[in-house]
Parts: sequence; C-alpha cells; structure tokens
Amino acid sequence: MPFDMLNTGLKKIAECALAFCKKHYGGNSMGVAVAIANEISWRPTFFLKPDRFHILAIEVEEKLFPESLKGAAHDIEHYEDAPISVYQACSLNAYQSDAKQTRVNLLRKHGFGIITVDDDGGVTIQHKCIPLAQHISADQLDSELGSLTPALKVKFKQAHDTYVTNEGQGLQQAGQIVEAVINCIAKQAMKRGVISTGEARGKLADMIDALYSKTQFRDHRAALGAARDFVKEYRNTASHAPKNARQAALKIRKCKAGFLDAIAVATKLRIVMQQLGYKAQIYTT
Amino acid sequence: MITEKHVKSFMREIPPDKIRRNSDNPRLFFRSEEMDILLASIRRYGIQVPLAVYQDAGEYVLIDGERRWRCALKLNLQKIPALVQKKPTPLQNLLLMFNIHALREQWDYLTIANKLPSVIELFRKENGTEATESDLSEITGLTRGQIRRCRLLMDLPDQFAAMLQKELELPKHEQQLSEDFFIEMERALKTVQSRVPSAVQNLNSARHALIRKFRSGVIGNITDFRKLSKIATSVSNLGVKEANAREAIAKILDPRKETGITEVFTGQFELRYDERKISLSIESVAEYLELASEDDSPVVIGRDVKQQLLKLKTLIERILGR
Repeated sequence: MPFDMLNTGLKKIAECALAFCKKHYGGNSMGVAVAIANEISWRPTFFLKPDRFHILAIEVEEKLFPESLKGAAHDIEHYEDAPISVYQACSLNAYQSDAKQTRVNLLRKHGFGIITVDDDGGVTIQHKCIPLAQHISADQLDSELGSLTPALKVKFKQAHDTYVTNEGQGLQQAGQIVEAVINCIAKQAMKRGVISTGEARGKLADMIDALYSKTQFRDHRAALGAARDFVKEYRNTASHAPKNARQAALKIRKCKAGFLDAIAVATKLRIVMQQLGYKAQIYTT
Repeated sequence: MITEKHVKSFMREIPPDKIRRNSDNPRLFFRSEEMDILLASIRRYGIQVPLAVYQDAGEYVLIDGERRWRCALKLNLQKIPALVQKKPTPLQNLLLMFNIHALREQWDYLTIANKLPSVIELFRKENGTEATESDLSEITGLTRGQIRRCRLLMDLPDQFAAMLQKELELPKHEQQLSEDFFIEMERALKTVQSRVPSAVQNLNSARHALIRKFRSGVIGNITDFRKLSKIATSVSNLGVKEANAREAIAKILDPRKETGITEVFTGQFELRYDERKISLSIESVAEYLELASEDDSPVVIGRDVKQQLLKLKTLIERILGR
C-alpha cells in the first residue's frame, strides 16, 4: 500500500502531492518509499523523473527541514548518477505556522523547495528549487562576492539569476565577466606599454599568456595562472549537452564549481588591478 | 495462561526491506519530533540496540523496534542488527509487545485501548474464560487503573475515537483534546447517566457540546468534569432534588448556552458540598468528645486539643450567639 507508513494527515498530503507531481511532470520511473540509490542515506517519500536527466524527490513531513533532509543533503548533492531536486511537502498550516519563516528559510538556504497542501487538497509550490548539486545559497554567494567592486557584484548576481534557471548559460555569463576583467587589465597594460596592441587584441588565452610573461606581472602570476586554468577548464563546459543523467549530473557539478571559480578568479584579478593602480572598467556583452 | 518457554534466539544482520511491521503492534503514533531525535542519533551512532523479530514466510516480522526500523528505512541503511526469536502465538505476540512497550515507555492510552479487545478475545480462546481486570493487569503489565482508563476509550463511539486519533497525531504542544480529556469526560458522563439518567437525552450531542465548550474555553480545565460528576452525585450525597440536578446538568450540556461546569457547580453545589464536608468534620469531633465523656471518670483531653476546642467554642459563640 503506498504511503501506509504515514499517519492519516501525512498520507493525505503525500497523495495530493503525488497526484500534483504526476500531473505536472508525469509518472516516469516513479518510486514510493524506496531508495534512489544505495549511496544516498535517505529514502524520499516518493520520487519520479520529470525528464531523462533529472530526478525529482519529495519528502512528506510536517516538521519543516526535518532531520532526514538535513542529513541527506550532502549525499544528494554529491550523487553522480543524476541531478536530484528535492521538495518538502507539508500542510499549509505547518508552513504558515513557521514563526518568522525560520525553518522555511533553512530549507531554502540548503536548496530544498517547498510544496504545501491545504485542507481541501489544493497543492501549491511555495518555493521552487533546482538540483541540490547546482544550488548556491544566497549566503554563500554574498560571501564569495565579498571583496569585489559593487559593479562586479551586480554582474555576478545577474549571472547567478541566469545560473539558477540554466546552469550552463549562468556559467557562460560568469565566464564573460572574467573575460571582461582580463580585457580590462590587458587594455590598461597596453596603454602603459606593457604589452603590444596585437597582444591586447589576441585570443583570451594568448592575452593571459602575454601578461604572464611580462616582468610587471611577475608578482601576479598566480592570479593570471588561475585565470588561464579557468578559461581552459570551463569555457566549453556550458556548451556540451549531456547525453545521459550521469553526464547531466557531472555538467551541473562542473557548472557550479565553474561559477564559484569565476568569482574567485575575478576577485584575484581585482586585487591585481588594485595593486597595479589599474581602473576597473568592466564591459560585458 | 501463557507458559514461559525457553526460546532459542540468535542475532542477525538483516536488510530493513526484509522486515515487515507487526500488524498487532498497538503503537499508532510516530510523532515527527520524537522520530527526528531518534533519526539523528541513528545517523550518528547507528542502531546500538538490536531489534527483535521473528521469521514468518521468508520474511521477518517486528516484535520490538518499529521506530528504529522506520528510521533505518528512512536512512536507507542496508542492514540492521536484529535478534531473531521463535514465532510467538497470536496472544504471546500481542502480550510481548504490551510488556515490552507499555512498561518501558508511555504508550498512548488509545494505542493500548485499540488492542485490548484483541487481548481479551485471544485470552478467552486460549483459556476458555473471560479475562478479569486482574488477569489483564497481570498479562499486559498494565495497572488496573490503566486498564480502566483504557476501557473508557475503548467504549468511545467511532467518530470520537477518530477525533482523538487525529489530535494525537499532532505534535504534543498542538494537541487540544488529550486522552485525559476524553477519559475525564467519559467518566463524568457515565456518572451522570447512572445517577441522573434523564439529564442526558443524547449522549453524542452531550459529547459534542462538552468538546465545543472545552475548545472555546467555556470549560477551562479537564478536571472540571469531576465537578460534573459531583453535580450528578449530589442527588444521593446531598439530597439535592433530581429535577434541580437535571436542570443544572442540562445547562452544561446545552450547546446553545455558554455555561461552564465550574460556573454551575460554584453557583449551586459548592457550598452544599462544603457544608457536607464540615458537617462530617463536626460529627467526627462530636463523636470523639462523646466517647471521651462516656464513662464517669474525668475527661482527659490533651493541652493542644483543649486549646483548639476553646478557640472553636469562641468562634461558635461569636457566630451562633451565647
């Protein structure tokens, strides 16, 4: 019997949430009270596959941000065979009773979505979510952006907005910011006669190599090296379409790492500019 | 009666999926907050106390450890330690769980009440006699008082049992109607029915009225129901006219009137109960004094008692006059 381990109240929530998910995402590869994989230390109340490359799992529980989700987040995030998005389904009453939305915010912070079911069985997605492996919390983003200029912060936040709906495009946008910072450095280096016009107008990797070879940048080779690695590692990540769920999971993890790397590289380059007395005039397309 | 037999048992690591819950387990409620604590503990330290199971048709059936088993499933544990015991008889199976659970932790009374009829029925089948309260107490490990309380819940009509069950599924701090509420209410209604039968026309309507009044605060405390019993027993204990008691109870049970139990009791019965109490005390003092002065020898009264009597005499003279 599906959901027979749940009490009557939770059973109703589970049934309504399942009907809602089946209606919106189909019932492919559905599992009720079974494990997604042995390596994940959590069994959702149910899960299904909205598309070939993605698992949507639901935990039905009245207590918001229950221990089961708290402890499983790491395993879900690092699961290699498919990206997994996780929603907690609870009663509307439980959701509204959360004083100051403390536990709701905890769920969101950790990348979980929230679905509520009212007394009449009406289902509402209160907070959408993306696969946990893709999730970068607002707190983490703010912390990573800490020492950037306000203009760069805004640009990365815009890139993050894109990243949330499309990880590949988000990474691409973050890459363009890094590219713009490198261009900015190269342009000013050219004006000061450090590199030639040709070197300043070459390919991005060549531009970095040119800066790297100059004695004026001798003390900043770590930052330039990081920028070179970033360009090499992530430039094409966004454009490679995954062929299966495993590749989709890998792409998501790479995009997340790339996005955070882009911020780290931009931060390092920003310090280079400060130390060399260069102005940060960033133009992205 | 059940005879104790030596049962060979052995330890085994078992996948939780190979275990099924015991349909005779009376435990109905697994509250999130309690489960969360256990889940966190098992995640950190694993299952330290093995479950108890028995083998049945290629599977294992739980005797003890349903909460741990549920946590193991939720945590997707691959194997859990279990003590495999001999398959018990149906009555042994039930009583094992009563003795394991009811003695070790506070089960909800409704949980016990729901399974008590099965125990009574199986006892009758195995022993050919009806189980007395004493028998039930002995085999289940419950006190006779607990059994009496369970019986009150056993007799609840389905709609009220369902109402209670729904409440009990809520976290403790959100529960408005407790088992104690229903136990106290049923006890009072039983007294009313036996002492002033004409006061209750429809028992379910009376229940609904009392529940509504409790939810809205008109009845402030579940111990108020004891006062309702006192109103009903006032006919025999105080000599109150049945019509007066009936009228007072009718006010309390009337869903249209915002009349509480304490209000009626204080207004019409409390003083009479107080007077009865004091009258009994006076009788007791008088009896003592009469006994002390029965023979011709001088009355011997201790200094403290004498002082109290003098104080009482002064008070009586002030109130009644010399």
